[in-house]
Amino acid sequence: MRVTRGVRITAGAALLALAVAACGGGGGSDNSGSGSGSAAQPVRIEIAEPQNDLIPGNTGETSGAEVLNALFIGLVDYDDQKKPVNRIAESIESTDQTTWTIKLKDGYTWHDGTPVTAQNFVDSWNFTAYGPNQQQSNYFFSVFKGYDAMNPQDPDGEEGPKKAAEPTATTLSGLKAVDDKTISVELTHPYSGFPTMLGYTAFYPLPKAAFESEGKMKADYGSNPIGDGPFKMSKPYKRGTDQTVEMVRFDGFKEGKAKVDALQYKIYTDLNTAYNDLRAGNLDIMDQLPPEQIGGAKAEFGDRYIEQPSSGIGWLGFNIKTGDTYAKSRELRTAISMSIDRATITDKVFSGTRVPADDNISPVVAGYRKGACGEACTFDPAKAKSLWESNGGKDVKSIDLSYNADGAHKEWMEAVANNIRTNLQVEVNVKPYEKFADILNDLGDGKVKGAFRMAWIMDYPSPENYLRPIFGTGGSSNYVQYSNKEFDELLNKGDSAASLDEGVQFYQQADDLALKEMAYVPIYFYTTNGAFSSNVKNVKIDPFERIDVFNVERA
Amino acid sequence: MGRYVIRRLLQAIPVLVGTTFLLFATVYALPGDPIAALGGDRRLDPQLVSRMREQFHLNDPLLVQYWYYIRDILSGDFGTTFRGVPVSSLFEGKFQVTFQLAITALVFEAIIGVGLGLWAALRRGRWQDQAVLAVTLLLVSIPTLVSGFVLQLVLGVKLKQNTGVDFFPVAGIQDGMRSYIVPGLVLAGLSIAYLTRLTRTSLMETLRADYIRTAVAKGMSRRRVLGRHALRNSLIPLITYLGADLGTLMGGAIITETIFNLPGIGQQLFQSVYLRENAVVVGIVTVLVLVYVLANLIVDLLYAVLDPRIRYE
Repeated sequence: MRVTRGVRITAGAALLALAVAACGGGGGSDNSGSGSGSAAQPVRIEIAEPQNDLIPGNTGETSGAEVLNALFIGLVDYDDQKKPVNRIAESIESTDQTTWTIKLKDGYTWHDGTPVTAQNFVDSWNFTAYGPNQQQSNYFFSVFKGYDAMNPQDPDGEEGPKKAAEPTATTLSGLKAVDDKTISVELTHPYSGFPTMLGYTAFYPLPKAAFESEGKMKADYGSNPIGDGPFKMSKPYKRGTDQTVEMVRFDGFKEGKAKVDALQYKIYTDLNTAYNDLRAGNLDIMDQLPPEQIGGAKAEFGDRYIEQPSSGIGWLGFNIKTGDTYAKSRELRTAISMSIDRATITDKVFSGTRVPADDNISPVVAGYRKGACGEACTFDPAKAKSLWESNGGKDVKSIDLSYNADGAHKEWMEAVANNIRTNLQVEVNVKPYEKFADILNDLGDGKVKGAFRMAWIMDYPSPENYLRPIFGTGGSSNYVQYSNKEFDELLNKGDSAASLDEGVQFYQQADDLALKEMAYVPIYFYTTNGAFSSNVKNVKIDPFERIDVFNVERA
Repeated sequence: MGRYVIRRLLQAIPVLVGTTFLLFATVYALPGDPIAALGGDRRLDPQLVSRMREQFHLNDPLLVQYWYYIRDILSGDFGTTFRGVPVSSLFEGKFQVTFQLAITALVFEAIIGVGLGLWAALRRGRWQDQAVLAVTLLLVSIPTLVSGFVLQLVLGVKLKQNTGVDFFPVAGIQDGMRSYIVPGLVLAGLSIAYLTRLTRTSLMETLRADYIRTAVAKGMSRRRVLGRHALRNSLIPLITYLGADLGTLMGGAIITETIFNLPGIGQQLFQSVYLRENAVVVGIVTVLVLVYVLANLIVDLLYAVLDPRIRYE
C-alpha cells in the first residue's frame, strides 16, 4: 500500500505521545523551591536512599537510622561521655545483670495521640526477634531468653537442601510487659552493658497502629510510620520513587517542641553532588563529606565544619591458626604492625577522614584508652626490622594482603604494602577480591592464609561490642581464629559486673590480651566529617552518626 | 502498512526472549552471594541469608530460576528487589525521569546538532565551517564526567554564589523542567557533535545532487531549495541516528544521572547489576528493548513520510 496521510498521523501521534509522556514528569513535585532560609522552608538533610522500609527493626544502615532518629525515640539516649541516659525509661535496674526491670515515664505519646506503653516495646522487640519476619536487626535479640525458639538453626547450613525448622515460639519467653509502665527482661547470661543497647534503632517501640493483627505488620506501615519522636511524617515516603522524606514537627512531644517546624531528608547517590548542593545553599546539613573535598570544606565552612571521631575501626587481620608462617608468629605480626606508618596513611591517603588507631576500642566508647596498643602500634622501622629479622622473618618469601576492591580500600592497602616492603625488605602481594561478600566467604572457609583488612562499626557503645564479636571464641567476625579462654572469661566477668563502670576494667584487661596477641592489628579509627549551611546552627552528631534534629535551629 | 507494523512487533518477541535470557545468565554468572552482600561491612545472620535465598530461589539452577522469573512475569508479577521494593514501582518514577532526560537531550541534539550542521554545510570551507568542525572535535573529546562536574559547578554553584542568579539547580528533580536543562545538555554533548558532522556531510552531499542544481536553475527560491529539497532528503540518516540514540540515551545515562542526582533507570540499572538483582536488571532491560524496537519502528515509518519512494507492504 502506498503511504497516505493516515501513516503520517500514526507516526505523528506516536511522537506526540512520547512528548506528552515526557512532559508529565517534572511539574508536579515542585514546592520546595530553592530560596534561602524562609520560614516555610524545611531544614534539608542529606541521606542516601534507605535500604529498607522505615521500620526500626529492619534498619541497620545509617541513612534509614538517620530518618528514624527524627521519628522515634527509645528508652535511652547517650550523653557526651557516650553513656546511656534515660529517655522514655524512668529506670533500668537489675540485681544480677540477668533479670532487668525497666520502668517507663508517663506522658510520652505516639503521633496518633495514644500513650507509649510497655506493651509497645514488647510488640516491637518480639516482631524483630521472630526469624521469619526477616528483620535485619534480628541478631540484637539473641541475648534475650527465648531467642533460639524463635530462630531455629538450619540443620545443614545455609547452602544445604534442608530448610530450617519452623520456629516453636512467636514471642520471647524472657520478655514481658508486667503492666503499662513496666517491662521485665530476662537475658541468657548476665550482661551489665544491657542498658547501652537500648538506645539503638532496633530497640525503638512500635505502636498498636503498626500491626494488622498480633505479630503481623501492616504492609504500608514502613512507608508512613507513626513514631514517638519529635517529628512526624507529613506524607508517606515511597521508597525507590521519592527523592525526599518529608516531616513536620510533632507538637505533642513530651520533651517540648523541636526548634524547627519541618525537616526534609534529601536522597543523593553521589556525595560530590550533595556537597555542591550544600555550597549552593540547596541543602543544609551533611554528616558525611566526600574525602577529596575535606581540605576545601575546612576552609570554606570554617566553624560550620564538623570533625569528630566516629565508631568505626579498621584492622589488618592475620590467619593465626592455619595461615602462613608470618601470620602464625606473634613477633612477626608485631613487626609488620610496627612497620606501618599510620599517621602518614591517615593523613595522605584518607585526607584526614581517619586517625591512627591505638586501641581495639573506639574513642567514642567509654573504656577507650589512648595509646593502649603502645609500642606495637607505633611506627618504628628500625625496631620493626630487627624484630622481623631476629624472629626468622628473613625466611618469609612474601606476604599476602587481601582486601575487597568494592570498598575504596585499594589505596591504603597499597600504602601499607609499600611500608612493609620498604621497612622489612620483603615481597608483598596485594590481593584484591571483587566484592566484600567474596572475601567473607574465603575468610569463613579459612582460605585466606595471609593478612587481610577488616573493619567494625559498633552496634551499641559498649567496649564489649568491640571485643566479643571480633576476638571472642566463635565470634561472628572472628576471622583470625583467635581463641583464648582467659580472654573469654574476662569478658564474662565484665558482663556480670554490677555496673557498666565496674565492668570496664575487665574489658580493658581482655583488650590488653588481644592487643598483645596482634591477631587483628588496629590501623585506623574513622572520623565523622560534616558541614552545615549558614541557614542553620546548633548541629550536633551523635556516636551513631545521627543528627540531633531536636535541637537544630534556624540561624 | 498495518500488517508491516504487526510483523515488526512480532519480530520483537524472540528478541525479547533472547535478550532477557542472555542478561539473566550474565547476571547469574557474577561472583559472590548477592544476599550476603546486602549486609555491607557486617555479616548477616545465616538464618536470614538462608531464608532469603529460599525466597528468591537462589539455590536453584539457572534455567529453573529463569523459568520462575518468566512465569511470574506472565502472571503480571515483576517481582521485588532483595530490599523488598516491587520492581513495577521502580518503573513508574524512574522511567519517567530518564525518559524526560533523554527527550531533553534529544531536543538539544536535534536543534543544536542539525542547526550547526546546516550552518557549516552552507558555509563550506569557510572559517565558520572550520570552527564548527573544531568545536565538535572538542565536544567529542570531553568525557561526560568532566563536562558534567564542570557545568554543575559553574552553572549550579558559582553562578548563584557570584551573581545570585538561581536558575539552574545543582541537582535533583524538584525544580521541574528546569532540572533537566543542564543534565540534558551534558548528556547530549557527544551526540550533538556527531549529529552536527552527520548533518553537515549529508547536506553537502545532497547539495551537490543534480536535482538541486535543476531546482536552482529553474529559479526556485533559496529557502525552498534548501528546506523542501535539500534538507528533507538529507534527513534520513539523521532520523536513523536520532532513533537509535534514544535507546542509548535511556540506558546509558548512568554518569549524568549520578552527577545530577536524577533518580532514573541508569542509576538503578547500575546498582542492580552490582547487587545482582536479576529481577530488576531484566525488567528494566525488557522495557529498554521495547523502547528501542518502538523507536526504530517509528523511524522506519518516518522514512516513508520523508521519502515517498519508500513503501511498506
